[in-house]
Amino acid sequence: MHSSLSNIRVAGVAVTTGAVVRDYIADGLAAGLERPALERIAQTIGFRERRVAAAGVTALDLCADATERLLSEMGLDATSIDAVIFVTQTPDHAQPNNASLLHGRLGLSKSAPAYDLSMGCSGWVTGLHQAALLCAHGGAARVLLCAGDTLSRLTNPGDRSMDPLFGDAGSATIVEKTGRSAPLHFVLGADGSGAEAIVVKQGGARQPAGALTERTDADGNRSHDANLVMNGADVFSFTLREVPSAIQAVMRLAGTSPEVVDALVLHQANRFILSTLAKKVGIPEAKTPMAAFERYGNQSSASIPCALIDGLGDRLEGGTLKVVGCGFGVGLSWGAFAGEIGPLTVAPIGTFPR
Amino acid sequence: MTPDEKLRLLRSDVDLFAAAQPDTQLAALPDWGSLAILLIIVHLEEKHQLTVTGAQIRACRTVADLLALIP
Repeated sequence: MHSSLSNIRVAGVAVTTGAVVRDYIADGLAAGLERPALERIAQTIGFRERRVAAAGVTALDLCADATERLLSEMGLDATSIDAVIFVTQTPDHAQPNNASLLHGRLGLSKSAPAYDLSMGCSGWVTGLHQAALLCAHGGAARVLLCAGDTLSRLTNPGDRSMDPLFGDAGSATIVEKTGRSAPLHFVLGADGSGAEAIVVKQGGARQPAGALTERTDADGNRSHDANLVMNGADVFSFTLREVPSAIQAVMRLAGTSPEVVDALVLHQANRFILSTLAKKVGIPEAKTPMAAFERYGNQSSASIPCALIDGLGDRLEGGTLKVVGCGFGVGLSWGAFAGEIGPLTVAPIGTFPR
Repeated sequence: MTPDEKLRLLRSDVDLFAAAQPDTQLAALPDWGSLAILLIIVHLEEKHQLTVTGAQIRACRTVADLLALIP
């Protein structure tokens, strides 16, 4: 789906990460792996550190902290928010949704609807499109978009292909209606035939929580049905197939090109995937923030706002950048966006508990 | 491209294959695993404009089997 929305702007962004620092090499050594192999893999994938949530902290807590800090930086009262959208696949409860819990916690207006989008790594872009739609055509002047997960809790410590990847984080993004005519452009898509490629089988209605049997794959990685498991090669093939064409399509829609864009902001899957994608779409790595992965890990739907702050925060606070971006992952699904972003309020990356 | 040329290109592009021979067993390569498969996917995509699945690579036993994926 192609969509272009005018009279909106991204007004502010904040990210709160988990407070526990995990070091890739130290964790690998503790698991009995050899340093040279760990260093080779760290070099290729970009593993360094990640931040995971402390015991008892959820995506709701991380997003609530990011929202409180952002509203404070912007000098806004929570009652000025006309709707809240919460993107997560690690909600506090099966019911009610996280958006309602956040609505209550922050004391939002009763006229503000609150709903979740069950999406992962592509979800911030879909959420941004939803928030922009509500502002452009839906009667809202200010929408709060929260996006975050605690995926580190879902991986099996015995799965070396998955366990070192994920950091936990929550983001808050404020989207506002404005008189500004320059549109934000979106290309959103899905390929449900690949739904099994990234999956947590147990815990929903089809396969309720129950007995777990651990299995070991061909590489010796262990997992059970309540773990997040991924067919890495299939997801990588999907990424190479769909993401470059979505980025090219959104650049065409925006009438822009790799030479003109100031930054390519991608879901921080890992450094290897980011540099492969940047090369494929012809945008230099210098314009493609990648350090967020190395500092914080793969933060699911919070990773694009984290890369915006970590890689471009000062420039976005002070001026306007022509940004192209893409989220991609579980579904399988993807969302690309292009347009001018900034100046906007950028809260420094925080940790929770503070 | 001859099988020899394909092997030379693979050796120069992916460190894992620096000393590989056609009859080298993939499972015997140091660091063989999911990361190696990603490196092969990128090699085939960038050098041969060939998109393959993980299952196609997993089905290969030797380096020669891998090179036979390339038309």
